[in-house]
Amino acid sequence: MSYKVDEIDNKRVVHLNGEIDMEVSDKARNTILPLIEAGHEVQINLSKVDYMDSSGISVLIESKKLSEQKKTKFELIEVSKPVEKVLAMARKFL
Amino acid sequence: MSETAQSNHTEKKDFLVRSSSLKDVRTFCREVFEKLQIEQNLKDELVLAIAEAAQNIVKHAYKNDPQTDDKMVVQISCKDNKLQIGFYDMGTPVDPNKVKHREIDNVKPGGLGTFFIQEIMDAVEFKDGKKPWINHLVLTKQL
Repeated sequence: MSYKVDEIDNKRVVHLNGEIDMEVSDKARNTILPLIEAGHEVQINLSKVDYMDSSGISVLIESKKLSEQKKTKFELIEVSKPVEKVLAMARKFL
Repeated sequence: MSETAQSNHTEKKDFLVRSSSLKDVRTFCREVFEKLQIEQNLKDELVLAIAEAAQNIVKHAYKNDPQTDDKMVVQISCKDNKLQIGFYDMGTPVDPNKVKHREIDNVKPGGLGTFFIQEIMDAVEFKDGKKPWINHLVLTKQL
Protein backbone atom coordinates (compact mmCIF):
# COMPACT_ATOMS: atom_id res chain seq x y z
CA MET A 1 0.00 0.00 0.00
CA SER A 2 1.19 3.48 -0.80
CA TYR A 3 -0.41 6.80 -0.05
CA LYS A 4 -0.31 10.50 -0.78
CA VAL A 5 -1.78 13.34 1.28
CA ASP A 6 -2.97 16.58 -0.35
CA GLU A 7 -3.31 19.63 1.87
CA ILE A 8 -6.08 22.09 1.02
CA ASP A 9 -6.50 24.69 3.78
CA ASN A 10 -7.71 22.69 6.80
CA LYS A 11 -8.65 19.72 4.62
CA ARG A 12 -6.42 16.68 4.11
CA VAL A 13 -7.17 14.36 1.21
CA VAL A 14 -5.59 10.94 1.72
CA HIS A 15 -5.16 8.95 -1.51
CA LEU A 16 -4.61 5.28 -0.71
CA ASN A 17 -3.25 2.92 -3.32
CA GLY A 18 -2.94 -0.88 -3.56
CA GLU A 19 -4.19 -3.58 -1.23
CA ILE A 20 -5.15 -2.90 2.38
CA ASP A 21 -4.97 -5.90 4.66
CA MET A 22 -3.75 -6.75 8.15
CA GLU A 23 -0.13 -6.37 7.04
CA VAL A 24 -0.51 -2.69 6.11
CA SER A 25 -3.56 -1.53 8.07
CA ASP A 26 -1.38 0.03 10.79
CA LYS A 27 0.30 2.13 8.13
CA ALA A 28 -3.11 3.38 6.99
CA ARG A 29 -4.19 3.93 10.59
CA ASN A 30 -1.01 5.85 11.45
CA THR A 31 -1.51 8.02 8.40
CA ILE A 32 -5.16 8.91 8.90
CA LEU A 33 -5.79 9.08 12.66
CA PRO A 34 -3.15 11.78 13.43
CA LEU A 35 -4.72 14.03 10.80
CA ILE A 36 -8.11 13.73 12.51
CA GLU A 37 -6.49 14.08 15.92
CA ALA A 38 -4.97 17.36 14.73
CA GLY A 39 -8.46 18.64 13.90
CA HIS A 40 -8.28 18.41 10.12
CA GLU A 41 -11.23 17.64 7.90
CA VAL A 42 -10.21 14.35 6.26
CA GLN A 43 -11.30 12.90 2.94
CA ILE A 44 -10.21 9.42 1.86
CA ASN A 45 -9.82 8.54 -1.79
CA LEU A 46 -10.09 4.77 -2.24
CA SER A 47 -10.41 4.75 -6.03
CA LYS A 48 -7.06 2.99 -6.43
CA VAL A 49 -7.49 0.42 -3.70
CA ASP A 50 -7.94 -3.00 -5.35
CA TYR A 51 -8.58 -4.98 -2.18
CA MET A 52 -9.64 -4.18 1.36
CA ASP A 53 -10.40 -6.62 4.14
CA SER A 54 -11.82 -6.22 7.64
CA SER A 55 -8.57 -4.64 8.84
CA GLY A 56 -9.04 -1.77 6.41
CA ILE A 57 -12.71 -1.39 7.28
CA SER A 58 -11.71 -1.24 10.95
CA VAL A 59 -9.42 1.71 10.18
CA LEU A 60 -12.34 3.51 8.53
CA ILE A 61 -14.61 2.79 11.51
CA GLU A 62 -11.97 4.06 13.96
CA SER A 63 -11.44 7.16 11.82
CA LYS A 64 -15.15 7.89 11.70
CA LYS A 65 -15.51 7.48 15.45
CA LEU A 66 -12.50 9.70 16.18
CA SER A 67 -13.82 12.39 13.84
CA GLU A 68 -17.13 12.34 15.71
CA GLN A 69 -15.27 12.79 19.00
CA LYS A 70 -13.19 15.61 17.55
CA LYS A 71 -16.22 17.10 15.80
CA THR A 72 -14.41 17.17 12.48
CA LYS A 73 -15.57 15.98 9.09
CA PHE A 74 -14.52 12.56 7.76
CA GLU A 75 -15.68 11.18 4.43
CA LEU A 76 -14.90 8.80 1.63
CA ILE A 77 -14.82 10.68 -1.65
CA GLU A 78 -14.06 7.99 -4.22
CA VAL A 79 -14.36 4.25 -3.80
CA SER A 80 -13.25 1.48 -6.16
CA LYS A 81 -15.68 -1.31 -7.04
CA PRO A 82 -13.92 -4.00 -4.97
CA VAL A 83 -13.94 -1.74 -1.91
CA GLU A 84 -17.55 -0.71 -2.51
CA LYS A 85 -18.56 -4.37 -2.31
CA VAL A 86 -16.79 -4.85 1.00
CA LEU A 87 -18.24 -1.60 2.34
CA ALA A 88 -21.72 -2.76 1.32
CA MET A 89 -21.26 -5.93 3.35
CA ALA A 90 -19.94 -3.95 6.30
CA ARG A 91 -22.58 -1.22 6.01
CA LYS A 92 -24.44 -2.34 9.11
CA PHE A 93 -21.27 -1.73 11.09
CA LEU A 94 -20.61 1.72 9.64
CA MET B 1 -21.94 -20.16 -12.44
CA SER B 2 -22.30 -23.87 -11.80
CA GLU B 3 -21.95 -24.67 -15.51
CA THR B 4 -18.42 -23.32 -15.60
CA ALA B 5 -16.98 -24.76 -12.41
CA GLN B 6 -14.77 -27.77 -12.89
CA SER B 7 -15.76 -30.78 -10.88
CA ASN B 8 -13.35 -32.76 -8.71
CA HIS B 9 -10.40 -30.44 -8.33
CA THR B 10 -8.20 -30.15 -5.24
CA GLU B 11 -5.19 -27.97 -4.51
CA LYS B 12 -3.43 -27.15 -1.30
CA LYS B 13 -0.55 -24.96 -0.25
CA ASP B 14 1.20 -24.12 3.00
CA PHE B 15 2.08 -20.65 4.21
CA LEU B 16 4.08 -19.27 7.09
CA VAL B 17 1.69 -18.06 9.80
CA ARG B 18 2.50 -14.38 9.35
CA SER B 19 0.49 -11.38 8.25
CA SER B 20 2.95 -11.01 5.38
CA SER B 21 1.66 -14.34 4.00
CA LEU B 22 -1.88 -13.08 3.51
CA LYS B 23 -1.08 -11.63 0.11
CA ASP B 24 0.29 -15.03 -0.96
CA VAL B 25 -2.87 -16.73 0.33
CA ARG B 26 -4.96 -14.41 -1.84
CA THR B 27 -2.77 -15.04 -4.88
CA PHE B 28 -3.06 -18.81 -4.41
CA CYS B 29 -6.85 -18.60 -4.12
CA ARG B 30 -7.20 -16.39 -7.18
CA GLU B 31 -5.11 -18.83 -9.23
CA VAL B 32 -7.20 -21.82 -8.16
CA PHE B 33 -10.50 -19.99 -8.75
CA GLU B 34 -9.23 -18.95 -12.16
CA LYS B 35 -8.74 -22.64 -13.02
CA LEU B 36 -12.21 -23.38 -11.69
CA GLN B 37 -13.57 -20.58 -13.91
CA ILE B 38 -15.43 -18.97 -11.05
CA GLU B 39 -16.88 -15.63 -12.08
CA GLN B 40 -15.23 -12.46 -10.83
CA ASN B 41 -17.84 -11.30 -8.36
CA LEU B 42 -17.98 -14.61 -6.51
CA LYS B 43 -14.22 -15.00 -6.79
CA ASP B 44 -13.70 -11.67 -5.00
CA GLU B 45 -16.05 -12.73 -2.20
CA LEU B 46 -14.44 -16.14 -1.79
CA VAL B 47 -10.94 -14.64 -1.72
CA LEU B 48 -12.07 -12.24 0.99
CA ALA B 49 -13.61 -15.04 3.09
CA ILE B 50 -10.49 -17.20 2.79
CA ALA B 51 -8.14 -14.31 3.54
CA GLU B 52 -10.22 -13.42 6.61
CA ALA B 53 -10.03 -17.01 7.87
CA ALA B 54 -6.27 -17.06 7.33
CA GLN B 55 -6.02 -13.70 9.10
CA ASN B 56 -7.90 -15.18 12.07
CA ILE B 57 -5.27 -17.92 12.33
CA VAL B 58 -2.47 -15.32 12.36
CA LYS B 59 -4.29 -13.00 14.75
CA HIS B 60 -6.02 -15.38 17.14
CA ALA B 61 -4.47 -18.86 16.97
CA TYR B 62 -0.96 -17.36 16.93
CA LYS B 63 -1.58 -13.95 18.57
CA ASN B 64 0.25 -12.37 15.64
CA ASP B 65 3.53 -13.93 16.78
CA PRO B 66 6.20 -12.61 14.40
CA GLN B 67 8.71 -15.28 15.52
CA THR B 68 6.78 -18.41 14.63
CA ASP B 69 8.02 -20.65 11.85
CA ASP B 70 4.81 -22.69 11.92
CA LYS B 71 2.89 -23.10 8.74
CA MET B 72 -0.81 -23.18 7.98
CA VAL B 73 -2.31 -25.13 5.11
CA VAL B 74 -5.10 -23.93 2.87
CA GLN B 75 -6.81 -26.62 0.81
CA ILE B 76 -9.37 -25.81 -1.85
CA SER B 77 -11.52 -28.62 -3.20
CA CYS B 78 -14.34 -28.53 -5.68
CA LYS B 79 -16.49 -31.61 -6.08
CA ASP B 80 -19.85 -31.75 -7.80
CA ASN B 81 -20.05 -27.95 -7.74
CA LYS B 82 -19.53 -27.82 -4.01
CA LEU B 83 -16.55 -25.79 -2.94
CA GLN B 84 -14.82 -26.81 0.27
CA ILE B 85 -11.96 -24.84 1.77
CA GLY B 86 -9.96 -26.38 4.59
CA PHE B 87 -7.58 -24.57 6.93
CA TYR B 88 -5.12 -26.42 9.13
CA ASP B 89 -2.94 -24.88 11.81
CA MET B 90 -1.02 -25.81 14.94
CA GLY B 91 -1.83 -22.73 17.00
CA THR B 92 -3.88 -22.25 20.15
CA PRO B 93 -6.99 -24.45 20.04
CA VAL B 94 -10.03 -22.50 18.89
CA ASP B 95 -13.21 -22.69 20.95
CA PRO B 96 -15.93 -22.59 18.27
CA ASN B 97 -18.40 -21.23 20.81
CA LYS B 98 -16.29 -18.10 21.17
CA VAL B 99 -16.03 -17.44 17.45
CA LYS B 100 -18.78 -14.91 16.93
CA HIS B 101 -19.02 -11.71 15.01
CA ARG B 102 -20.02 -8.51 16.77
CA GLU B 103 -23.58 -7.50 17.31
CA ILE B 104 -24.94 -5.16 14.71
CA ASP B 105 -25.27 -2.23 17.08
CA ASN B 106 -21.69 -2.57 18.30
CA VAL B 107 -19.61 -0.46 15.94
CA LYS B 108 -16.25 -1.11 17.55
CA PRO B 109 -13.72 -2.48 15.07
CA GLY B 110 -13.01 -6.20 15.19
CA GLY B 111 -15.08 -9.30 14.56
CA LEU B 112 -15.82 -8.07 11.07
CA GLY B 113 -13.75 -10.80 9.47
CA THR B 114 -15.89 -13.53 10.99
CA PHE B 115 -18.98 -11.65 9.91
CA PHE B 116 -17.71 -11.52 6.31
CA ILE B 117 -16.94 -15.24 6.33
CA GLN B 118 -20.43 -16.06 7.58
CA GLU B 119 -22.04 -13.71 5.05
CA ILE B 120 -20.15 -15.19 2.10
CA MET B 121 -20.01 -18.91 2.86
CA ASP B 122 -22.88 -21.39 3.25
CA ALA B 123 -21.30 -23.18 6.20
CA VAL B 124 -18.46 -22.63 8.67
CA GLU B 125 -17.42 -25.66 10.68
CA PHE B 126 -14.61 -26.38 13.12
CA LYS B 127 -13.54 -30.02 13.06
CA ASP B 128 -11.13 -31.86 15.30
CA GLY B 129 -7.61 -31.33 14.01
CA LYS B 130 -5.86 -34.60 13.33
CA LYS B 131 -2.18 -34.73 14.30
CA PRO B 132 -0.07 -32.72 13.76
CA TRP B 133 -2.83 -30.19 13.33
CA ILE B 134 -4.62 -28.52 16.22
CA ASN B 135 -7.32 -26.61 14.38
CA HIS B 136 -9.20 -27.62 11.27
CA LEU B 137 -11.68 -25.12 9.87
CA VAL B 138 -13.88 -26.00 6.90
CA LEU B 139 -15.77 -23.44 4.84
CA THR B 140 -18.23 -24.63 2.21
CA LYS B 141 -20.13 -23.00 -0.60
CA GLN B 142 -22.46 -24.48 -3.16
CA LEU B 143 -21.53 -23.12 -6.58
